[in-house]
Amino acid sequence: MIRSANPLAQEPRYELIARVLRENIAAGILPEGFVLLEGPIATVMQTSRVPVQAALRQLLEERLISRFDGRGYLVGRVTAGTVPIRRDIRELDLLIPPMVDDALQTRGTWRHVYDEVEEEVASCQIFGEFRIVETELAEHLGVSRTVVRDVLARLQERGLIRKSAASHWIAGPLTARTVSDKFELRGIVEPAALRLAAPHIRYAEVEDLLERIETDPAITPQEMADALMEHCIAQAPNTALVEMIRSNRLLLSAVDRALIRLGLPPDEDTIEQYQTLLDLISRHPIDSACEYLRDHLSITARRYLARMKIVAVIPEAGAFAPYLSPQ
Amino acid sequence: MYEAEDQTQLAAPPHVQRRVLRVLGTSITLLPPVRDQARADLGFDIVFEEMDFLDCQRQAAMRPDGYDVYEQCFHNLDIVWFWGALQPIDIARIAEWDNISDLVKLGGVSKYAGRGLGDAPVKKLYIQPGGFLGSKPSRHISMLPTVHNMDSFGFDARVFGTGTDPRPSWAWLLDRRAKGRIALVDEPAIGFFDAALAAEASGELEFADIGNMTIDEINALMKLLERKRVEGYFCGTWRGGEEAASLAEAGSVAVQSMWSPVYGKLRAARPHFIEAAPTEGYRAWHGGASLSRHLRGAVLDMAYEYLNWWLSGFAGAVMARQGYYISNPARARDHLCPEEWAYWYEGAAAARDLAGPTGETTVKAGERRAGGAYTDRARKIVIWNTVMDEYNYAARAWDRFVRRVQDGGEA
Repeated sequence: MIRSANPLAQEPRYELIARVLRENIAAGILPEGFVLLEGPIATVMQTSRVPVQAALRQLLEERLISRFDGRGYLVGRVTAGTVPIRRDIRELDLLIPPMVDDALQTRGTWRHVYDEVEEEVASCQIFGEFRIVETELAEHLGVSRTVVRDVLARLQERGLIRKSAASHWIAGPLTARTVSDKFELRGIVEPAALRLAAPHIRYAEVEDLLERIETDPAITPQEMADALMEHCIAQAPNTALVEMIRSNRLLLSAVDRALIRLGLPPDEDTIEQYQTLLDLISRHPIDSACEYLRDHLSITARRYLARMKIVAVIPEAGAFAPYLSPQ
Repeated sequence: MYEAEDQTQLAAPPHVQRRVLRVLGTSITLLPPVRDQARADLGFDIVFEEMDFLDCQRQAAMRPDGYDVYEQCFHNLDIVWFWGALQPIDIARIAEWDNISDLVKLGGVSKYAGRGLGDAPVKKLYIQPGGFLGSKPSRHISMLPTVHNMDSFGFDARVFGTGTDPRPSWAWLLDRRAKGRIALVDEPAIGFFDAALAAEASGELEFADIGNMTIDEINALMKLLERKRVEGYFCGTWRGGEEAASLAEAGSVAVQSMWSPVYGKLRAARPHFIEAAPTEGYRAWHGGASLSRHLRGAVLDMAYEYLNWWLSGFAGAVMARQGYYISNPARARDHLCPEEWAYWYEGAAAARDLAGPTGETTVKAGERRAGGAYTDRARKIVIWNTVMDEYNYAARAWDRFVRRVQDGGEA
């Protein structure tokens, strides 16, 4: 395969999609109140839904779009007077810069496809053990086997897949034991990292977030978890520690997103806990926040285990990508 | 629709829509005599939607708008409660609350009775801070405890013999004498434990905590079951009482999981297909009624009326006639004749033929219930139907096993 000269071809697809949407919002082509739905955007961008979901999450964080009482997202901020505009995005003639369009169509490098594969491989594990066949993954992504091997190597490095005795790539199963172990590790390392991070925490962002909890009823526990990680814990100067925390959380947060996609209600009770935690971080000695974080994680673990049991009633049919073969 | 100027229309009597309460549940409690009496006593309509255990819990979790009251077992609260499908029940609104037995409130019929492993209902009863369920008393509960029983298995006395020596053991569910004539109930929180008890009783396996097995223990059990399946031990699985009765009637089974009402349905198999009182003890379950999260105002009031009606005696008597106990037996006793009470609750020989819930004779004069009186049976609970921590894993492994039993395949 000829490697593309387009520098954007190295970027993850979700970044490219986010870029297109951002520019179209700025240009007013996507007007305030327009309802953004994953499926139609994926059709326009000629990708799967996974990178679209990631792009929308990013725009939500940037507060360019918001959640509302309905499916999808609204462009802009929701106010009392907002009337959702429901039109097919395909009729809008979105501005898609040729470089980006070209990059979206280029399937040359592993970085380009990695994020969507990671999301699918992580979230399938609630359904049990899966084998990934290299050729099927290559066909699914429309990339060479060399690229697929790069993707698989990265997944292995991040602990999401392993090689079986027969040399097959295996993902999962995610068991209650795995979840407990991961939360136990979180309880040990995250409060420690928070303590190390104390002088470096982005306090302005924390204040900003606290204000948002008060004013934005659409804020999700997932956004709070991500913000806590980025503005506080990840500010610890020990990069190896931060990297370890990130990779330990990878599977847990991918599964959590998968559960919400499957219809589970988001874990709303934890918002109050995040509020307390952020308040402790911004206004009190860091030790109290570290203690609270430990407690919060042990409660979150119990809740997470309870939510895992629910998955047993969800039928497997159509719940995972075609290149994943149940074992 | 009417025309504004047509004043005569207003004189017509208003069309009153009859109030309806929708109940989702299983064959355990959704019996026509219960519904008919409740309708008559409460003055509103009651619609039953009956499903098997697994479909019922899926429906309850994912479509709470489709029902008002959910009648199921405590063990599946782990699924339905944490889906956010239900709302708390205020015990201040339950007239019989103080008369509900210690089996559910404390975990055993007396201080010294065994508690049983796994999901004892007390562990799921009270709502705790943070939305968890637990045994620490609080004003709000997840499910109103109603019907319950101690389950065992049924066996062909022509194969295993009668009398007390040898005494029935869960090991019989994997016994060579019954090879090819063994069936299990297909429910991963129920039949799974029949199999697990059989594996322990037969000495094949030992679990550190049978009520919360590890992945390795689950794998070991599934491997044992698969080996037995390949050797041809199992002839089938079933999900409802009718299927269980058919298997016994057709002579297909020499031993199988059983539910109490099934014995009353047996005809040809009746003389030789016997309820076991296992030496190891019983696998128990506790049912109840919960409120859908969407209930408010008048419909919520109707749901509370229905819940209170459940504990007012009539339903408890109907349940007794199919071999199930109620959480406040004293009220049911008011609706049972002395011979019925003596047979079902006290373990006495039937003084005369006794009728089942729909009127036909299910117990012959002189018969005695296996295991004896209620309290004797309740003291011997070793495990409750349970949704373990590794339930998602176990349920999927169990499902694969069941499909192989049904297909008779080699893989």
